[in-house]
Amino acid sequence: MLREITLGQYYPAKSILHSLDPRVKLFSTLVFIITLFSVDNVVLFAIVLVTLFGIIKMSHVPFSFMVKGLRSIVVLLIIAGLFNLFLTPGITIFSFGFLTISDVGLKNAVLMTSRMILLIIGTSVMTLTTTPNQLTDGLEKSLGFLKKVNVPVHEISMMMSIALRFIPILIEETDKIMKAQMARGADFESGGLIKKAKNMVPLLVPLFVSAFRRANDLSYAMEARCYNGGEGRTKMRPLKYSSLDQRAYICIVAYIIIFYAVKVVL
Amino acid sequence: MSIIRSKELVHEYIRRDEEGNVESIQTALDHVNLSVEPGQFISILGHNGSGKSTFAKHINALLTPSEGTIWVDEMNTSDDEYTFAVRQTAGMVFQNPDNQIIASVVDEDVAFGPENIGVPTEEILVRVDKSLKMVGMQKYRNHSPNKLSGGQKQRVAIAGVMAMEPKCIILDEPTAMLDPDGRADVLRAVHTLNREKGITVILITHYMEEVVDSDYVFVMEKGKVFMEGTPREIFKDVELLKEHSLDVPQVTLLAHELRKAGLQIPECILTRKELLDALSKLNLKRKASGVSEGFKVSEDTKSFGENVLILDHVSYKYSPGTAYEVTALDDVNLSIKEGEFIGVIGHTGSGKSTLVQHLNGLIKATEGHIYYRGQDIYDKDFDIKDLRTQVGMVFQYPEHQLFETTVFKDVQFGPKNQGLDEKEQIKRAYEALGLVKLPEELYLASPFELSGGQKRRAAIAGVIAMKPAVLILDEPTAGLDPKGRDDILGLIKDMHEKRGDTVILVSHSMEDVANYVDRIIVMDSGRPAFDGTPKEVFAHYKELEKMGLAAPQVTYVMNDLIEAGFDVDASATTVAEATESILKALN
Repeated sequence: MLREITLGQYYPAKSILHSLDPRVKLFSTLVFIITLFSVDNVVLFAIVLVTLFGIIKMSHVPFSFMVKGLRSIVVLLIIAGLFNLFLTPGITIFSFGFLTISDVGLKNAVLMTSRMILLIIGTSVMTLTTTPNQLTDGLEKSLGFLKKVNVPVHEISMMMSIALRFIPILIEETDKIMKAQMARGADFESGGLIKKAKNMVPLLVPLFVSAFRRANDLSYAMEARCYNGGEGRTKMRPLKYSSLDQRAYICIVAYIIIFYAVKVVL
Repeated sequence: MSIIRSKELVHEYIRRDEEGNVESIQTALDHVNLSVEPGQFISILGHNGSGKSTFAKHINALLTPSEGTIWVDEMNTSDDEYTFAVRQTAGMVFQNPDNQIIASVVDEDVAFGPENIGVPTEEILVRVDKSLKMVGMQKYRNHSPNKLSGGQKQRVAIAGVMAMEPKCIILDEPTAMLDPDGRADVLRAVHTLNREKGITVILITHYMEEVVDSDYVFVMEKGKVFMEGTPREIFKDVELLKEHSLDVPQVTLLAHELRKAGLQIPECILTRKELLDALSKLNLKRKASGVSEGFKVSEDTKSFGENVLILDHVSYKYSPGTAYEVTALDDVNLSIKEGEFIGVIGHTGSGKSTLVQHLNGLIKATEGHIYYRGQDIYDKDFDIKDLRTQVGMVFQYPEHQLFETTVFKDVQFGPKNQGLDEKEQIKRAYEALGLVKLPEELYLASPFELSGGQKRRAAIAGVIAMKPAVLILDEPTAGLDPKGRDDILGLIKDMHEKRGDTVILVSHSMEDVANYVDRIIVMDSGRPAFDGTPKEVFAHYKELEKMGLAAPQVTYVMNDLIEAGFDVDASATTVAEATESILKALN
């Protein structure tokens, strides 16, 4: 049950998207999010939607993989959608008892949920086509200027990539410990909030112990392979912009111009 | 010139209290003197806690000596100037495959070492290619390590070390967490490196079969080197090794037993072929025809009680209906009788763990029914929580589930969840801890302070305390040294005999299982491939091998003898039985 989270799960394939520089992908994701939240009419929405589906098509990642990420936020989506639907004042278009749906409410609900869905899918396109290491490399390089103000950019990005590597392992471990405690009669489901929290102790303590043990092992393994911080480190695949990346940037700029031109015109 | 040389090496683990005062000193290495020549394949043997891992960390400058000196390629490891040069010269592979892979893609992980030491970009790519090829993992270079098997992950880790172009590679129990297939792959890779690239190998292990092919062996105990020599010299003294509860390969043990019985066999036999040659020289009874007669030992068929558990056409699929559908169990029919001691064997991914997790309802079958004492466990009014106390389950590495402040409280956890009153809980916990023979002074200690073997016993006690009618143990000996393994298996057998409960032991070690169980179920691709007494199952040793399993070494020896035309019993599965049969065949 816990194994199906796609977070930080890279999908290996050969596509234009996979070979793009992570900085391009980070920037385009940012642009995508900003434009997504500037959407206020159907035409703009269509532009975002078509662009996204074009990109998904280019990624060679099965669509079902991206939808998987949505499963974990279904409840959130429904709640947010319902709140918007019923609690937004405006011209009533439908009413049933104390429940009323206004025109603005309907519009907001649709906009809100579709925005959330596209947001998740859009960002998962990035994480599915970029290895966590490339991603952190991209961040490290993009935010490199922060080093001048003594922000340990390299260390932070190393921590991020290690965290991403260990998330699936710890998820599996959680699953295992949960089963082991259930076999000893532990109950993780019933009871009120406080009882539930108390019942988590047999799960959380072993999980923390295990995480510390792994951290300890890993630090030895890293030291044994001469890790000594970012100084003097080379890269197997240093980030270098290729002509492909330049073209990608041109596409992104074109997209921004078209999007805001349409927004201004309509 | 030695590549590694230690002189009076001492290492002390010092524990301090909060004010920095010394609380206790534990001497892990006690004046160790040894040297390793370039190009050698060295094994270091010893129990857990004998100091062998501490020694390995010294070679890599992860630890520095409290006293004495160690030189790696003439560099003193205590000298900070050399730290990185030392680590580059002597690379290290650790026990846990998951905890030493840093990157999320195989080739990026292999590149981690060269990146750290500042190798130029183009050169890194060449080295990564070369290293992955050396260990036979080039096909997986773009894979995520999470999708690899344990043996594959260890080979990636070896490639990661090789990419730094070391002169020497140290492997700290690299196969302890692997199944037989993975173990063989890793060892093959290491031997190839040693033979073809001339890399000095230091293999730390407690599997004796892995030691046989090395050039030189050091046996450590209590921080000291207590035996050293060629494998032949080490295994000569079987009695001494046994005294120190170190394992001996079954062939060597068999030869030793035969010698003791007065047979003219040379001292210290290490391989099947050597034993066969030695026995061929003796006047063993030949068979009239070369054909084996099959089973001769009449087995005392034990009678068992009623069926406790019945599996009726049980199938289980992971992520059904998606592209990732995996059939873990495929139409399994089984019945398990009261009082049976069953071994479930299969390689990783054969469905053995999935199978046993069905038995207490932790996994629900996608198809089929399971009956516990005649009741369908998937019935709406069946109490699944009660089933879990009736069918106790000890998971792999059960010590990872310990969480309480004291051992005693942890063992009490199960009975408490059963809703028993406090008096009964305490009684149960006492009984269980007694059964696993944990020393009483440890009852109130924190479970995290115990040794590996003790933790495992405490965790097993935690399940026994619920007094289950059926006890399932998933790989209860994984990662333990030979002594710990024998202790745990002996304990399980004792408990079985004393309490007459049904025991199901999941394992991939045939040799462990052969000595203890009444019945073996061999799982392959989600189905029981064989089901019968150990003798019946091991008679299929050739098919077992195809499944990536192996019969006990003695089974092979006996079959070798039969093929050579001798009249011995093919169904012997233990050293004692084999000895008896060979002696009988003596004219």
